Amino acid sequence: MAVGQRTPDDASAPAQGWGLNTWDSPWLNFKFLLGAGIVLLILLFGLVGPFFWDTDLAYTGAGPLNKPPVWAEGGLPEHPLGTESNGRDMLAQLILATPSSLKVGFLAAIIGMGIGMALGSVAGYVGGWWDHVIRTLSDSAVTIPALVVLVVIASYVQMTDTTAMALILALFAWPGPTRLVRSQVLTLRERSYVRMAHLSGASALEIMFVEMLPNMLPWLAASLTGGISAAILGATGLEVLGLGPTRVPSLGLIINQATTNAALVRGLVWWWLPPIIILMVIFVGFFLMTIGLDEIANPRIRQFSSTRRERTAAGELPPVEPVEDGTAGEEEAALEVDDLHVHYFTPRGEVIAANGVNFSVRKGEILGLVGESGCGKTTVAMAILQVVQPPGRIVQGAVRIEERDLVSLSGRDLRRVRWRDLALVPQGAMNSLNPVTPIREQMADAILAHENIGRAELEQRILNLLNDVGLPERVIDMFPHELSGGMKQRVCIAMSIALNPQVIIADEPTSALDVVVQRVVAQTLLEVKERLGVSMVMIGHDMGLQAQLVDRIAVMYAGNLVEVVPVESAFAEPLHPYTQLLIESIPSIRERKPLNVTEGLTHDLRDPPPGCIFQFRCKHVERICRERRPELVERDDDHLVACWLYEPERHSLIELEEA
Amino acid sequence: MRGLTKEYVLQRFLMYLLTIWLGSTLIFVIPRLAPGDPVSEMVGRLSLDAGYIENADKLIASWKARFGLDAPIHVQYFRYWGNVFRLNFGYSLSHFPTEAWSMVSRALPWSLGLLTVATVLSFSIGVTVGSLMGWRRTPRWLQMILPSSLAFTAIPYFMFGIMLIYLVAFELDWLPATGAYSRRVDPGWNLPFIKNMLSHAILPVVSIVLTSMGGWALGMRGLMISVNNEDYFLLAQVKGLSPARIFFRYGVRNAILPALTALALGLGGLISGSILVEFIFAYPGTGYTLYQAIISQDYTVTQAIANLIILVTATSVFLLDLLYPFIDPRITYKRTMR
Repeated sequence: MAVGQRTPDDASAPAQGWGLNTWDSPWLNFKFLLGAGIVLLILLFGLVGPFFWDTDLAYTGAGPLNKPPVWAEGGLPEHPLGTESNGRDMLAQLILATPSSLKVGFLAAIIGMGIGMALGSVAGYVGGWWDHVIRTLSDSAVTIPALVVLVVIASYVQMTDTTAMALILALFAWPGPTRLVRSQVLTLRERSYVRMAHLSGASALEIMFVEMLPNMLPWLAASLTGGISAAILGATGLEVLGLGPTRVPSLGLIINQATTNAALVRGLVWWWLPPIIILMVIFVGFFLMTIGLDEIANPRIRQFSSTRRERTAAGELPPVEPVEDGTAGEEEAALEVDDLHVHYFTPRGEVIAANGVNFSVRKGEILGLVGESGCGKTTVAMAILQVVQPPGRIVQGAVRIEERDLVSLSGRDLRRVRWRDLALVPQGAMNSLNPVTPIREQMADAILAHENIGRAELEQRILNLLNDVGLPERVIDMFPHELSGGMKQRVCIAMSIALNPQVIIADEPTSALDVVVQRVVAQTLLEVKERLGVSMVMIGHDMGLQAQLVDRIAVMYAGNLVEVVPVESAFAEPLHPYTQLLIESIPSIRERKPLNVTEGLTHDLRDPPPGCIFQFRCKHVERICRERRPELVERDDDHLVACWLYEPERHSLIELEEA
Repeated sequence: MRGLTKEYVLQRFLMYLLTIWLGSTLIFVIPRLAPGDPVSEMVGRLSLDAGYIENADKLIASWKARFGLDAPIHVQYFRYWGNVFRLNFGYSLSHFPTEAWSMVSRALPWSLGLLTVATVLSFSIGVTVGSLMGWRRTPRWLQMILPSSLAFTAIPYFMFGIMLIYLVAFELDWLPATGAYSRRVDPGWNLPFIKNMLSHAILPVVSIVLTSMGGWALGMRGLMISVNNEDYFLLAQVKGLSPARIFFRYGVRNAILPALTALALGLGGLISGSILVEFIFAYPGTGYTLYQAIISQDYTVTQAIANLIILVTATSVFLLDLLYPFIDPRITYKRTMR
């Protein structure tokens, strides 16, 4: 009856990540291990019990009737948990019943899982007609209420032993795994390493077992533990109703005999309560295992709970250190980013994603923020917008618009500034619109959150905005899925200018689009900027596109700004070796040159080296580069660079230090 | 552009018919697969009781003819379908002059009342708790308290019911243990009866709600966490919308879609999921009637209830499928959602 919807598209981590031998292993999930421990204990009770206690006492007439447990008045030491109305010893009954209840669950769930894996992989892998039939069958099978059909079947088919019962229960255990495996196979089939294996001639079975199975493992395990407890529940339900096998002792049967003998009214608590307690412990165990496995399989859930734990461990978020307003010299700045530090607090250490980033955007200017992926440019954008996602956090710095520091704002004050002064054209226009509401509503709520205007005026305003970005008016009543990628991105642009903001952050606004559409969107952005005189931060890694759009370029490397330069100088005479590398790597039709990028690797962001951050990849590296970090200093007119190469006194500095 | 396409409705309708056909055929087939037949068994039991019955063979043959069991299997199958369409399931075998269908329709209101209340309560509490648990902006004190509502999730509802009966009904004597109303009140729309009826419904409802809301909450929490990471959720924040609007229009509105599918399945199970609860509380609904029919080998009543359950489940899923395009505008384009 649970919602039970998982999102299997998350199992994208390659198989190596799931190794059992490292202490980092996600399998070391507390809930999972605790649950597994509980289930093992119960199993042990059933398996070891017969060696310590005479199970023959579990049959009628083995002792006196209705004796309470040994600790109650009238209890007998030879029947420590008491006896029931037929003189059967409770302890012996429980020892016999526990493993048989577990056995039914395991057997049914494993059979169901086997069928599910076979059908699901056929449906997902072979596809076509097979897929259609299997999907239709499993879809309609889940709509049939299992317990009723079980009860009806049980009324016609005499179940003699637990195996027969498990087989019948397995009829209801296959649709879940089938659907799971099918969707997993469909997702994994598109992954590049599976495609590679396919191209290199691996057979379908090999691919299934070597490439896919390890990645599905946490999902399958969660489905299996869920299936086992569902099967035990179904079996126990039948037994409680008296429709299960009546010759074999089972926990449900004990409850059935207790209730039909009015044990509740007669106060024979020791008759009905112990089987219920054992069952509850079993269910709690499997429940913990299942939610633990869900966390293992779904990194998002894991991350969500771990960040909360870390926040709790660290106490309340420490206030961000305010920065003295020292560099705010530029009068015409629309946006100032001042000594911005953003850290991600991961279980494996603190990742420094932005390390003292300093820049300002002048009024009416487009500043390009470039750098390779992972250099922290999107983090800077998110920090400007005050939406750094946990476990990340701004630990220091200021973001100022009109002398107001956004970092120090929160709640209502921050909401008032958002969109009104600072808007965003997001990176993934594909997913940046709410899929379930029409465009009208999404544009309207941005406007209405900041202004009080009437219906007609609102509608006219939205239509004008759509017009401004070259979209037809009918778009207003459409849903995001009805628009193409380029149209969605233009809706996002229209939305961003709705309140005439001071600054727009455009986070790789053209990255997911094809070349022609890229051009249209870039053109739209330029037009908007020309007409409104808005300032923009344009984030991207496409140097060609930057060259056409931006006024100045800020180059970022491993969380640090290394050069800020007017766009002409950036291409004519780049100063920083990393900028030179970026410019060189722009492909040219006229001359074909070898690509010069892979020399050296970026350092570990958790542990930046002393000295220059680019030292490992730099051709000109010298001793001072390894020892002291260069500051971002103005070298030419309006041309800032952080590099010792342009520090003529560097040698004397070293000598001075050594002296 | 929005709404139902002819193809979609047709496809769902065919699926609906297929489900009903599969289910009802199963009900027809299973008893015939089982060894022995009800008539011979009954005569066998009679002859055991009486010691000897004259012309037992003839008796069996004539009864079989009377119930149509002598016809070839495909004729029986067509007759069966004709009867299902007319809701004619014959007489109850254990309460002879009563018709099977009238026994079912007498029990139906009890089950529907009890379980609609329980399911709606458990769904709305669970979804609320789960949404708040999966939202980053939920106040810290609430984040600490909410997980405690999952305490009973792992306990099957009927076991919880047994313990409630023992504690609340027998030990504390606060509420009645079993039945839908006391003998001493007159059924009807009068205040004492309604009060009496409600006091009987509390324990079953509580045992269902407390044990099942955790499932909704956990599912909703997972869905909400996924939505939390969507780009549109981030954009909503950047737009400066109020937390309430982000939570409802961008968060819950998207996260609840799969939960609604599960709810439709749950509503279909209203009539059936109750067997154990109704058994434990001796509540005179369809589940309890089904249980009694099975115990007394009342095949006609069993068939009637099983068919009803399949019909109701399939219908609620079908209705949801028709409503879905209005809840999730993407659905007409994506062919399969679940």
